[in-house]
Order: sequence, then C-alpha cells, then structure tokens
Amino acid sequence: MEEKLIEFIKNEYLEDPDIIITEDTKLISSGLIDSFSLVSLQTFIEREFGKMIPPPKITAESFDTVKQMVEIINQF
Amino acid sequence: MIFDIKFFLLLAISSAVYWQIPRQNIRNLFLSVISLGFIYYLDKYALIVVIFLTVYTYAFGFLIETKDKRGLYHKFGIIGLILALIIFKYLGLLSNTFNGIIEFFGQLPVIKIEKILLPLGLSYIIFKYISYLTDIYWRIVKKGTFAEFLLYGSLFTIFFAGPIERFEKFKPQIETEGLKFKSEYLKYSFDRIVYGLFKKFVIADWIAYLINPILKSTNENSIEIKILALFGYSIQIYMDFSGYSDIAIGSSKLFGITIMENFNYPYLKQNISQFWRSWHISLSDWIRDYIFMPLSRYSNNKVWFYFFVPLISMGICGIWHGASFGFLVWGLWHGLGISIFQIYSYMEKRNKRLKNISKVILIKPVSILITFVFVTAGWIFFIYLNQ
Repeated sequence: MEEKLIEFIKNEYLEDPDIIITEDTKLISSGLIDSFSLVSLQTFIEREFGKMIPPPKITAESFDTVKQMVEIINQF
Repeated sequence: MIFDIKFFLLLAISSAVYWQIPRQNIRNLFLSVISLGFIYYLDKYALIVVIFLTVYTYAFGFLIETKDKRGLYHKFGIIGLILALIIFKYLGLLSNTFNGIIEFFGQLPVIKIEKILLPLGLSYIIFKYISYLTDIYWRIVKKGTFAEFLLYGSLFTIFFAGPIERFEKFKPQIETEGLKFKSEYLKYSFDRIVYGLFKKFVIADWIAYLINPILKSTNENSIEIKILALFGYSIQIYMDFSGYSDIAIGSSKLFGITIMENFNYPYLKQNISQFWRSWHISLSDWIRDYIFMPLSRYSNNKVWFYFFVPLISMGICGIWHGASFGFLVWGLWHGLGISIFQIYSYMEKRNKRLKNISKVILIKPVSILITFVFVTAGWIFFIYLNQ
C-alpha cells in the first residue's frame, strides 16, 4: 500500500522526479501537495484500495504523511 | 449583544456549579438545561426550534447508525435540515425574488409570503447537525447519548456565533467520567475572554466609530478616504468576529471543553486558498468537507473542478451568512478568487517559465498584499449590497 501511494504521489503531484519520498515525508504541511490535489488522492485511494476516506479525515494534520494515510485507510 | 453582563454572570455561576456536580452525565444535563434556559431567555422561538431539530436529527442519527438503508435515512435527514434552513432563513428572499420576476412580466398574481422570524443561532445549529448526520453516515462518529447530543447542539458558549464544532471532537470531551477542574482552565479562559473583549470592544468598535460615517456617506469624502475606510473595515470585521470566537473558546474552556480555533492570522496569508484555511476555519472546513470535496467527486471535468466547484461552494458559504444577494455576491467573489488561484497553480506546475516569473514577482510580501487587497475589495459587497 505504501509503495503504491508513494508512486502515485510522485507521478501525479511532484515536478521533480528525484525528490525522495518516504512514508514519513510531510506532504501537505510542507507544500509538496496542495489541498486541491487531495480530491484526486481520495479518488485514487477509493479506486485502488476500495476505501472511501471521508473528507474530514483528509486534513493537513491527519493525512500529512504516507504513514498517516495508511493508518487512516486501515480504519475504514 | 450576546456577550453582555448577563452572559458572563451565567458563565461564572454555571461553571462554578458545574464542577461541584460529581457525575459527568449529570454535568452534561445541567449544562444543557442552563444552555436551553439561556436560549429561551434570548429567543423563546429559538428554543422550540432547537428542541425540535435536536429530536429530529438524533432520530435520524439513530436510524443511520442502526438500520440497513443508512444512505436513504442520511438523505432524508439532510433534506429536512436544509428545508428548515430554507423556510426560516431564505423564504423571504426567495419570495421577494420570485415576485420581482412576476412583476417584471406583469399581470400575474403576486405570491405573498410573510417573512418568518429567523431563530437565533439557526444557521450554526443546522450546519452542526448536517455534519453530525454525515459523520455518522461516514462512520467517523457514533451517535452518542441524547444528552451528549443535546449539549453539543445547545451549549450556550458557542450556540449563537460558533465556532461550528464537530461532534467527533466534542463527544470525547464530555463522556469521560472523573474530570476535575484545573486552575489552568480559569487562567486560559480569563486571558482568552479579556483578549476577545479587547479586540471586540476596544479595537473593532473604535474602528467602526471612525469608519462607519465615511462608509455610509454618499459623496462627502474623497475616494482615497473611502478606500482607507474600506481597509479599516477589513481590520474591524476581523477583530470583531475573531474577538467573538476568542470569547466563545475561552468561555467553553471554563467547563473543560476545548473548542476548535476559528482564525489563524488570515490577513498574513499568501493566497486566497490559505486565507480560507485561516478565516472562520470552522465554516471553511465545513464547506470543504461537506460541499467542496463531495462536489469535486461528481466529475473529472476540469472546468467543473476548477471553476464551478469553487463558485458553488463559496456561493453557499456566502448565502449562509445571510439571506441577501450581497452575501451571495461576496461568496461568488471569493469562489472566483479560489478558481483563479487553482487555475494559476495548475498552470504554474506545468510551465517552468511561469513558475520562474512567479518566484521573482510574487515574493511573500507581494502575495500577502495581493491577497489582502482582494479580500478587502470583497467586503464592498458585504457593506453596500446588504444595506
């Protein structure tokens, strides 16, 4: 799950393919992903993992790193 | 004026009694009764509406949580709440608009709808209850006991002017037994309330005293003075509203309840999107969670996502503030701003030259200034179209 998320984020949102993303990299609070991109991330998660993550759970605080994303995905 | 001497007397007495009660569930009941009593004191009509809406919403919360057709119950529950908002808040505006159109075409009979009195706090409670039902539907939160929900809906410190707290954050704070009063609560509350009162009564009211005659006059003042007054209005409305939020947050803390922050230096943000994540945060988060993101999922069409979704979302945000076209236009202004910003960000990501130009021109102070000027220009609709 982590690899798929990292791959999607790198391909979809980052201009520089050399940026290294780990599961602890801060994505929203660091500005790597803007809040509008979260809609397509939400759609990707639903398509790929069959989980609809409710918008209140997709915030800069709770959805900032891939690790946090995985935790939230596993809650639903 | 909600935060007057009676409010603070009630706050002092009720918080002192609250901590003498040994059981948390009895405390909740006590605080609900006090809150409902205060609502009754300020607006008898609002009390009836609050009780009706609370029973209605809790019943639907129960159905969504326990029955099979949860999606259907969710839809019906939300429709009922929206209908209540339309009937109480927008029927007058809708009938006036409709009659205006009829009169324009002549001959047709005019439909007369008496304006129904808007109960205090209705817009806030309806948005809170929509989030409650939707969060149960999304399985983010359990419905809780009726007493917990009643307190969530009626808590007098946040009932009249927000913040629009979420049940998910509120419930854990009032269900734990054995909570004890801490002296930090008193210190935090006192500091926060004094800070809020200062912002509201010293800064905001004095600015209003200076600028209101200028903003309301027709042509005695030069355009430069009027523009200066408009910037003054920007500061005044921020101090006024954030002052209210400080008082609400500080007052709630006296009962050991932490309420979400509503402002985070909005006029120091570099774009309109950041501004809305820092201005009336409880409302903008609500709009994002229950309108913006669900609407965005409807279609992959870029025009829909970059133009219509921000416009619809912020249009609703505008009209939530009041039943007038001025609020609607103000919301659309911000929707347009967000749309332009989104399109610009999209283009910037794909065009290195544009990105480099942005880096040179849109340095931090310039971005902050542009955002502040845009927001200030938007207040024109607030001031002049709502008169």
